[in-house]
Amino acid sequence: MAEITKLIDVSKCTGCRSCQLACKQWNQQPAKQTENYGTYQNPPDLQSNTWTLIRFQEIAEKDKVKWLFRKDGCMHCTNAACVKVCPSGALHYTDFGTVAVTNSLCIGCKECVSACPFEIPRYDRVTDKIYKCDLCLSRIEADLIPACAKACPTGAITFGDKNAMIKKAYARAKELGGDANVYGDKFVGGTHVIYVLTEKPRVYDALPDKPCVPFSLIVWKDMLKPLSLLAAGGVLAGSFLHYILHGPKLPDEPGKEEKGGE
Amino acid sequence: MRKGLIQATDGFERIVHWSLALSCIALCITGLGMMYQSFNFIGDMMGGLKSLKYVHNFTGVFFGVALYFTIRMWWKEAGIFSMPEDLAWIRCAGGYLWHVDKVPETGKYNPGQKMFFLVVAGFGVIMFLTGLMMWFPLSFPPLIVRLMYVLHALGFVVIFAFFFVHLYLGTIGSPGSLDAMLTGWVSRAWLKKQHPKWLKEMEEHGTLVVYGAEKPSAKGHH
Repeated sequence: MAEITKLIDVSKCTGCRSCQLACKQWNQQPAKQTENYGTYQNPPDLQSNTWTLIRFQEIAEKDKVKWLFRKDGCMHCTNAACVKVCPSGALHYTDFGTVAVTNSLCIGCKECVSACPFEIPRYDRVTDKIYKCDLCLSRIEADLIPACAKACPTGAITFGDKNAMIKKAYARAKELGGDANVYGDKFVGGTHVIYVLTEKPRVYDALPDKPCVPFSLIVWKDMLKPLSLLAAGGVLAGSFLHYILHGPKLPDEPGKEEKGGE
Repeated sequence: MRKGLIQATDGFERIVHWSLALSCIALCITGLGMMYQSFNFIGDMMGGLKSLKYVHNFTGVFFGVALYFTIRMWWKEAGIFSMPEDLAWIRCAGGYLWHVDKVPETGKYNPGQKMFFLVVAGFGVIMFLTGLMMWFPLSFPPLIVRLMYVLHALGFVVIFAFFFVHLYLGTIGSPGSLDAMLTGWVSRAWLKKQHPKWLKEMEEHGTLVVYGAEKPSAKGHH
């Protein structure tokens, strides 16, 4: 099956949050009590039942204030740190190249929470499981576009074939000019959610400049993990060789004790 | 029990040893169940991988308690090297690897056993502390938690490999040794071969407990 990609063009986003609502609606997630804390961003952060969120930022410039809206959520990495650490296979790749969660398999170990370079998975204490966007797997399997893309009134969120979307993203960035850039296709093997950003990535809240699978995870999963079985196997083989070549350490026969040493 | 056997360990030592050993084995098995998806089936025996997680975590607490008693009990005997005789023993690998005419006489614990104890104690503490932080990863910064996973995996590499060394040398690699941890009673010949200095010390201090002897002297350990 062809890989798909969701393209988020922040230059077209008006911050209406239809995507946030549509996400809750399709995934049947309740809303939490909101609270005014001095920003339009609401809820304050991603939650176990809020899988996408428009982040609002005010940037003060010389004679005006600039507003930035960024739809945050799972980036659906090709080399996903969360899939790498998940002990149960709850987090897994789909045929579309996206990363989905099989909730019944999640054991609530939270390893993915600290592994994810984008800090996306959220833990829910009540169910003792983690939750995140699955790019509306139930919809894309039925040949529908994700709920957020469906709800977006300005065309900021579009969805389609991976290569076509990347091409479209670069064309749009070129069209916008200035600092506009494409974010997502160049790291962690390429993400299946890419942005056209109007500012440099580091300007945006909670957006890592150069995300990667943490080196500690590579040491842990690609080096120490196989080494554990290799070392134990080596010891077993060594013990066997010791037994047949050197022999066990036996007490001396009575009467011959004085010779000592082996 | 046979007449003439000598007490090498007391009941407390054996209970502490097996508390640590059995919890360590349970932790290795359940840990493997989470480390390798192909070993996820180990969780099926416990009602699922989620239950396995709890078995692992709470066994870890038990392991921590057993480790505390292990270190408190054996620190002085097995945690400190006595130079220079231990160095001489290490130089000839205790006669375990090549032929040595005269192996330096060892006390209750030979330097190999001391090294084993120190590695288990050191990495045991690391496993307990890192495991505790991995249990509550949201309470610590992700960078720290990631390091804990690496240390926990490193501790597993070392402890899992050392387990098999211990298993071999405690059983077929050194016949008679297992009795010291099962019944606590060993033969004089075994003691003379394995820990000659300790045998002499006990004889000199009158602390040797011989099965069936008229007057059992003061207890071995405490």
